[in-house]
Amino acid sequence: MEILTAFAIGLTFAVGLFQILRRNVIRAAIGLMLLSNAISLYLLTTGAYIGEKAAYVGIAVGEPVDPLPQALILTAIVISLGTTAFVLAMLYIISKRYKTCDSDALTGLAK
Amino acid sequence: MPDASLILPILIIFGGAILAALSGHPRISRRLTPSKTGLILSLAPLSAFILILTKLPWLETNAAYTWEILWLPSLGLRSCLYLDSLSAFFALLITLIGTLVVIYAGQYFKTATGVWRFFTYLLMFMGAMLGLIMAGDVLTLFVFWEGTSIISFLLVAYNYTDEAARKGAFKALFITGGGGIALLLGFLIITHLTDDSRFIIILNSGETLRESSLYFLVLGLVALGAFTKSAQFPFHTWLPDAMSAPTPASAYLHSATMVKAGIYLMARLNPVLGFTETWFWLLTFVGMATMLTGAILALKRTDLKAILAYSTICQLGILMMMIGQEMSISFKALIIGILAHALYKSALFLVAGIVDHETGTRDINRLGGLRKSMPFTFGIAVIAALSMAGLPPMFGFLAKETLLATALHPTLPKLVSWFFCLSSVLAGALMLAISGRLIWDTFMGATRDPGIKAHDPPWIMLLAPAVPASLSLFQGQFAGFREEAILLAHAAEAAFGSQVKISLALWHGLNAPLVLSIIAISIGLVMFVYREKIIALLLYLEITNTLNKAFTAVINGIDAMAAKAVSLQQGKLRIYLVTILAGVLGLIVVFGGFPPSMNIHALTLPSFTMAGELALLRIIALFLICGTSFACIILPDDFHAILAFGASGLGVAVLMALEPATDVALVQIVVDILLVIILVLALSRLPREKLNAIQNLSFKGNRPDHLRDGLISGAFGLVVMFMSLAALLSRPRVSELAPFFKDNTKLTTGSTSIVGTILTDFRGMDTLFEIVVFSIAGLGIYTLIRFAAKKFKDTDPSGKPALSSDIHSISSVGMSSGKMTPLMRVLAQVMLPLTFVIGVCDILYGHDQPGDGFTAGVIISIGIGFQYIVFGYHEIRSRLVWLKPSGLIGWGILLAILSGAGGLFINGHYFSPVDFGKLLGLPLPKGIHLSASMIFELAICLSVVGSVSHMLNTLGRPDEKEI
Repeated sequence: MEILTAFAIGLTFAVGLFQILRRNVIRAAIGLMLLSNAISLYLLTTGAYIGEKAAYVGIAVGEPVDPLPQALILTAIVISLGTTAFVLAMLYIISKRYKTCDSDALTGLAK
Repeated sequence: MPDASLILPILIIFGGAILAALSGHPRISRRLTPSKTGLILSLAPLSAFILILTKLPWLETNAAYTWEILWLPSLGLRSCLYLDSLSAFFALLITLIGTLVVIYAGQYFKTATGVWRFFTYLLMFMGAMLGLIMAGDVLTLFVFWEGTSIISFLLVAYNYTDEAARKGAFKALFITGGGGIALLLGFLIITHLTDDSRFIIILNSGETLRESSLYFLVLGLVALGAFTKSAQFPFHTWLPDAMSAPTPASAYLHSATMVKAGIYLMARLNPVLGFTETWFWLLTFVGMATMLTGAILALKRTDLKAILAYSTICQLGILMMMIGQEMSISFKALIIGILAHALYKSALFLVAGIVDHETGTRDINRLGGLRKSMPFTFGIAVIAALSMAGLPPMFGFLAKETLLATALHPTLPKLVSWFFCLSSVLAGALMLAISGRLIWDTFMGATRDPGIKAHDPPWIMLLAPAVPASLSLFQGQFAGFREEAILLAHAAEAAFGSQVKISLALWHGLNAPLVLSIIAISIGLVMFVYREKIIALLLYLEITNTLNKAFTAVINGIDAMAAKAVSLQQGKLRIYLVTILAGVLGLIVVFGGFPPSMNIHALTLPSFTMAGELALLRIIALFLICGTSFACIILPDDFHAILAFGASGLGVAVLMALEPATDVALVQIVVDILLVIILVLALSRLPREKLNAIQNLSFKGNRPDHLRDGLISGAFGLVVMFMSLAALLSRPRVSELAPFFKDNTKLTTGSTSIVGTILTDFRGMDTLFEIVVFSIAGLGIYTLIRFAAKKFKDTDPSGKPALSSDIHSISSVGMSSGKMTPLMRVLAQVMLPLTFVIGVCDILYGHDQPGDGFTAGVIISIGIGFQYIVFGYHEIRSRLVWLKPSGLIGWGILLAILSGAGGLFINGHYFSPVDFGKLLGLPLPKGIHLSASMIFELAICLSVVGSVSHMLNTLGRPDEKEI
């Protein structure tokens, strides 16, 4: 089971990176979001795993799961939503200024 | 003994620097002439001088004052001051000559504006120099050492419109700064070896240092610092170029103080680093080479200041050589040499400044015959020059006698003694010729340039060179005060490490040094008479240019390397990223201990048994994630790739729900949907043909590119996979923190959702900041696209809202520029109120059930976003007039801040849980608590709706002409 989870995280991460390395900046944006998904999943794996019930007080049977990583993931998701939206806005501006969505054509430094 | 008043002189001088900077204010500078400013500011170094003088009676016992302040106790770092006879000797010189130079500068800059800048730099320099001399530990010394380098850069480049000044300043900073780095390394090693950075410890650790295997490294590094600072061969080339500084600065920096910093350092460390063969040979030969180079090069110059600069180099060589010796008389020569040189050289520099000031030139070929028009200046110059030539009855004579006595000392090896005598006599002769030339060609003979009309400057300007010149004279006449001799003796002892006897009497009867002295004077006179021929010969030889060429070559080499480094920057972001990733991979492979050790036995294989249906669901979710992620790559259409991404996000949500992490799963689902909506909106701003062009880029490029990217990202995926596996296999069974949250959630807040409580109560401040960040993202997008982009003409100028008539004509056009079916329109209309209901429920019951303010905000935003997609920007603006994003954000954040205040007033802690419902006894339905955290959730919801609306508004707004 752990192997499959780890494999899914690794694959999502790899796909995210691969997408970021594309010339199409829209793909790069998608890649960034995939990366943050992978990271959320990874954070989830850091919690202690004795529990099998949702983290609520007063559950009848069983132990609740570790709530702390979940709270951290929530914060991470919120922030990554904000930053992703901001990245999209920047991509939009860049595509307007340079009249292209090709990251290889964005060579402001080389000019 | 500890004495806190040690810091006073330094503070006074830095205070003077601040005053000088303030005097630049137009209101003050209008009322003050530079002359008055100089007189007022000179009080700072003068009072520092007097303060140090008051310490002298106690220094007679050869004790040392110390003072220290811990500024980083955890690292044991402290700042110390240390005043013993050697530091006091230097400090007195610095403040005395400093006082004179400040007064003189007031006269020198009579007409120039912005003189406050010069005074500020000069006093800052003085403070740094005093700090360097009085530093009680090597790190403090280094800080002030660098301070002198940097401020001297500012002083040399004072006339920054002059290219020569800028170049000279750069050269000085480059060479002395480079030496400074070496020095820092040396100091760090010393600190490491002696376990302490304070001089009181280091000065007693000579054995440890000399016997250490790192001794040669320490010696080399420290010597490099001192040699560059004190312009020793072959680093001397910066000193003549630094002469582009205003003359008062040259007189101060390059005669009395900064160049002596290296001498001071070597003298200070002599007791611990000295008395070895290496020390002796290194200092003797570098010093000797410097002495001869300086003396020979000085002769052929025609600029008064250049002549003085090279003669300074010569003198610095002599001083360095003296430190290398192992006998007491050489340290007598050292201290007397420093004093004599500081006196006559500062006088000569200041005289050169007066000549320049009055005649407008420093070129010796144009000067001449000034003795009649400038009699007082001439008198001072003659006294100082006689001292420099080492002629009786001046103090310089004593300095030269002690030098020759050192050369003749019987403990020296025969061959060295010969070399020593020969070079000393030669240098002495050259110095005499140089002094003669300086006086003769400037003041004697006939006037060469009839255009030059000169007269003596005001007495106050003459005062500055007159004081050191007359000191040179009277020192020689009256053999000084007893106290002075004692101070000099103690200073020499501090440098030598054991007793040195100093008497300041000029005559010791007819002895061997006197004979050598007479020989030197005779040769010098001959050289002076035939100076033209010798200069012609020297000009033919051209020695110094090779070193200047070497320096230029070094600088050019650095420039070329920089150009090479810049040329590597070909501006393709992907390549940078690949480079960074490859570097990180390399680091992981080399240092990361990869693959990580893990508990393989805990590995369980996926079970397909239906017994745990959760396991099966989990496997399905994992396959969903893998499949959609992979599809994300291979789907050629960007819209499809976005959908695949959305599906993969949902897979993640399922996995989270199975963990079970219900709150997270809920947020993940809504955020995933919202992201897809935003992406689609952003994409649909572009026309179809442009989209196709972009899509073609995704897989454009050659195969090796894809292979490279694939390998890199694959390798990273592998690393992350192993990391996750290690985390999964070694994660603890029991959490340390979870029990705390479990036990306290109900107790303190009355709610049952632990995760929600952590967010709104336990980590309320974090969530507040998080929501502020999220709001700023929304506002940032808004300002970026609406204002910044418009300012730089990145968007089309027609950003005004369309007229109302236009809205009706395009009312049925959605984002996809096509007609929307009535069903979709109705759905979109029904969706929004529904999302409101869900959102309100989320907030009301969020305390005990999955869901929170953020989820509520995002769900409502999804409803709005859906309408955006269906109706298009313009219709939305007329439909949802109540939607004022910036206002929502503002009210939301304000409410969030206020919601925490309730706890502050009632419980005394900001964001502490308060149940207002219970407090006021309101009859609320079961499951609803009117608590502070519910108000907080509401606030979060408001600002999220505002922020997301900004995103939708700006990203979802088509440019007018693209409709």
